Amino acid sequence: MAKIIGGVGTSHVPSIGAALDKGLADTPDWKPFFDGYIPGKQWMADMKPDVAVVIFNDHGNSFFLDRVPTFAVGVAETYRPVDEGWGPRNVPDFKGAQDMSWHFVDQLVERHFDPLVCREIDVDHGLQVPMELFFGHPDAWPVKVLPIWVNTIQFPIPTPQRCWDMGKVLRDAIESFPGDDRVVIMGTGGLSHQLQGSRAGFINRAADEAWLNGIADNYEHYRDMTREDYVEEFGSEGAELIMWLVMRAAMNDKVTLKHRHYHAPASMTGAGMVVLENA
Amino acid sequence: MSDIPETPLYDRAGSIRGYRMNKMAMSLGIPANREAFKADESAFLDSHGLSEAEKAAVMARDWHEMVALGGNLFFILKISAIDPTPMTRIGAAQAGMDHDLFLQQRLGKI
Repeated sequence: MAKIIGGVGTSHVPSIGAALDKGLADTPDWKPFFDGYIPGKQWMADMKPDVAVVIFNDHGNSFFLDRVPTFAVGVAETYRPVDEGWGPRNVPDFKGAQDMSWHFVDQLVERHFDPLVCREIDVDHGLQVPMELFFGHPDAWPVKVLPIWVNTIQFPIPTPQRCWDMGKVLRDAIESFPGDDRVVIMGTGGLSHQLQGSRAGFINRAADEAWLNGIADNYEHYRDMTREDYVEEFGSEGAELIMWLVMRAAMNDKVTLKHRHYHAPASMTGAGMVVLENA
Repeated sequence: MSDIPETPLYDRAGSIRGYRMNKMAMSLGIPANREAFKADESAFLDSHGLSEAEKAAVMARDWHEMVALGGNLFFILKISAIDPTPMTRIGAAQAGMDHDLFLQQRLGKI
C-alpha cells in the first residue's frame, strides 16, 4: 500500500513566486526567508516522494463567487498554472495522481464528505508556491500531485474540526491505495496576515511562533479553536491555517518536528514552515 | 460582519454587495479583458454594470472604498496588475496610514 513519508506545513504567499520570477531571492528582504527553506528542500530531496497531496485555497483564480465549493478534489491528468492577472508564470504543468485522487474521492463520499470533483481545473499560487519552495524550479516536477481545495475566502468557511476529520479520511485513503507510492502531505497557507479592513497589516509573531512550535504536539488546541478565534489570532486571511490541520490529522498522534522556519514579514505575511515525520 | 474590530469577514452580505465589482475584477484574469480595461476603463466598467459609486472607487484605485463596497482583495487585486501597485500600498490604504508608517508600525520594518 502507499505510505505517508511525512507532512509539511508551509506558507503560500504569492509574493514568494513574484520574488522568484523577478530574481529577488538573494536580496536582503527575501534571502533570510528562502535560506530557511533549504533544510526542508533537502529533506524533500532525501525522502524522494512520488506523490504530493497539496491542501490549499484558490484565491479568485479557478473559482469565482458564482460557485464556492467548501472542499474540492482534483482528479485531472494535468493541472496548468493559472494566469492570475499578471500573465502566465514560467512554472511547469503539474501531473495529477489520478488514480489516487479517485480513490480518495471514493473514500470521502463513503465517509460522508461531499467534495466537488474537478476533472479539468487550473491551479494558482496556493499550490505553485509550496511546490517551488520544496522542489525548486525543475523542468518537470519529480512528483505527481493530488490537489485539495478548501474554501477560506467566503464565509462560512469549514470548521477546523471538519478539516481535521478530512485529514483522517485522507490518511486511510492513502494507506489503502494499492502499490508502493511514497506520499508527502503539504498543508498550506498563513501564517498570520490580514489584507482587508483597517486592521490590514496585522501580523501576530507570537501566535505564529506558538503555532509552529505547537502544531506537532499541541494540535488539540488548534483543532478545538473556533473560526473566529483563528481570525482574531491570525488575521482574516491568516485563518487559512486551518488547512494545516488536514495534514496534521493525517499524521500519527506522535510526530517528530524535523525542521521549522519563521520569517516576518514576507510581503504582508508572517511566513514559515514545518516538516513533520511520524514518530 | 465579525465582532473583531476593524476586521470585515467576507460573508453573505459582502459577497452579495460586491458581486458585480468582483466579477469585473475576476474577468481581468483573461488577457483580452485586461486590454479592454486599459483601452477604455469607463466603458469596461459600464459593460459589467458597476454602479457610479463602484465605478468611481475603481477608477480612483480607492482600495479602502472598494472593500467597503464589497470588493474582496483576492479579486480586486487583479486591478493592481494593470498599473502595478505593491500589496503593502494597498494595505496602507486599507489601514488609512502613510506607507512608511504602515511598514514600520504594522509590519515591523525599520
